[in-house]
Amino acid sequence: MNITNTLYKITFASVLAAIVMTASAAPPKRIFVTNEKDDTVSVIDGATNTVVATIEIGKRPRGIGIAPDGSEVYVAISEENAIAVFDPESYAVLRRFEGGDDPETFAVHPNGNIYISNEDDAKASVFNPKTGEKIAEIKVGIEPEGVAISADGSKVIVTSESTNMLHVIAVPEHKIINNILVGARPRAATFNRAGTIAYATSEISGEVKKVDIASGTVIGKMPLADDKAKPKDVLLSADESKLFVAGGRANRIFVLDANTLEIHQAIPVGKRVWGLALSHDGSRLYTTDGVSNQVSVIDTAMGKVIATVPVGKFPWGVALYE
Amino acid sequence: MKILTRIALGVCFGCLLMSSIVGTELRADEITVLYVGAADSSAHLGARQGLSEANAQGEFMGVQYRMVTVAEMDQTKLTPVAIIAATQPTRLSQLVANYPDLALLNTTAKDTALREQCRGNLFHIIPSTAMLTDAERQWVQNASGSTAQARAWHHTFRKYAASQLNIRFKDQFGISMDDEAWAGWAAMKLLADTIVRQPTLTGAALIEELKTNLAFDGQKGVDMSFRETGQLRQPVLLVEQDKIVGEAPVRGIVDSSDLDSLGLAFCPK
Repeated sequence: MNITNTLYKITFASVLAAIVMTASAAPPKRIFVTNEKDDTVSVIDGATNTVVATIEIGKRPRGIGIAPDGSEVYVAISEENAIAVFDPESYAVLRRFEGGDDPETFAVHPNGNIYISNEDDAKASVFNPKTGEKIAEIKVGIEPEGVAISADGSKVIVTSESTNMLHVIAVPEHKIINNILVGARPRAATFNRAGTIAYATSEISGEVKKVDIASGTVIGKMPLADDKAKPKDVLLSADESKLFVAGGRANRIFVLDANTLEIHQAIPVGKRVWGLALSHDGSRLYTTDGVSNQVSVIDTAMGKVIATVPVGKFPWGVALYE
Repeated sequence: MKILTRIALGVCFGCLLMSSIVGTELRADEITVLYVGAADSSAHLGARQGLSEANAQGEFMGVQYRMVTVAEMDQTKLTPVAIIAATQPTRLSQLVANYPDLALLNTTAKDTALREQCRGNLFHIIPSTAMLTDAERQWVQNASGSTAQARAWHHTFRKYAASQLNIRFKDQFGISMDDEAWAGWAAMKLLADTIVRQPTLTGAALIEELKTNLAFDGQKGVDMSFRETGQLRQPVLLVEQDKIVGEAPVRGIVDSSDLDSLGLAFCPK
């Protein structure tokens, strides 16, 4: 009885979800892309997939993120050791603040603070971007890189590339609660929505690892078939059934089963694909194809590229304004 | 600071005769790596850099390393987990024979003959002369007669986070990282990367793990493993007038991912 009931609920929920997804499959309003070698941000219109503006932002822009309320956009200006802030409607550069040494990747917390990895300092820093004030510093391993924040904001992962480790940091205590050894040169990580599991890419070992956060153990791993693959960004699909992995020099997006890590598909995109962003409804995946100077737009249901958008030189980070 | 103090102590013990004083200083939870060779040489500074990075990693995992430096091996009563050596081929051969159960990591001797001997516990971190010669030959074929010198490392190397390693080394010692410094760093770092995953590994088990399971990030863009000759597979840099002009295996001449196109790939039958 219970089983039938549950099945009915699951079926009903899936149908409902399908209806909702179809109904709301509207593209993001704008897509912001940092161009590492142009010192600019390209603004792509989500409806037409064309560049409608280019913002002069500062030297070597890389990480990019949007405030939880959508009011402003943050860009790590690596060579100026700063975070630049611009308005997503007017594109006006509002201000900048000190972001520590060589800020590269960061993530925006639901409370509005940003968590930055400072590569040359073996530290992660927490900033209030409204005031530019540094709230905390956390000592991590050598060459920290990727930053991921759980949906409820209670945990942050920082990857240490040269130390081959994921550091799980508790918020608001800003204490490391677990250190998890993964493959060589972990680049990026992402949490599941419940915050119980994370996935991480390792560039040198060319693999994805799945880790259990509570026990701090590796519970799955999958080498990416292509030995040229130097995976970077990793994201879960909206329904959390699939994992999207940017394959770097493999010039493909790998689509893995989030449960088994089995590789289902490899979607060809441009050269040296690094950055990923998924629309809220999960229907569109945007990739930065570094060497091809373009953004690919993937329809996730069809599993193929539906548009390529020429942007600036060496697109790196991508953020969606919805 | 604490780490530096420990290294300094280790160096000092090396100058003295190994005695019972060392024994009382040893802590049970520390993993000891012995360095045989001259203190403050390039390879030694590299190994010290590797030690500080090994301890930065170990701190998160409850593992601690110390490096004890000795000019000559016979002074010591230590039981190290492995030996990093920066010494002549004849001394290396003696060490290999005297300590058959210890992994011995060669950081300075490039002699191809040492690789041909295929000693079971001898690992070569520095590229062999044959590897460097092959790299130079590939480059000449590619660059229509332009000659370059093949090197394990270069202080201007930036790709694959090489610049971060160059910066860390220069910050700590005030000089540029060269080939032997890289080899010293890599020797200590690959030991630690292996041991941190299984801290109880010693002796023959550690040798076996290095031979079969290494996927080391030597900050040259690929995962490195050992050949059956004991040589660490690795790309090398091609340098002209103190500038990097290319990398080998040279793309267009061989498959650029075919690291075994450099030097002796297999033991002589």
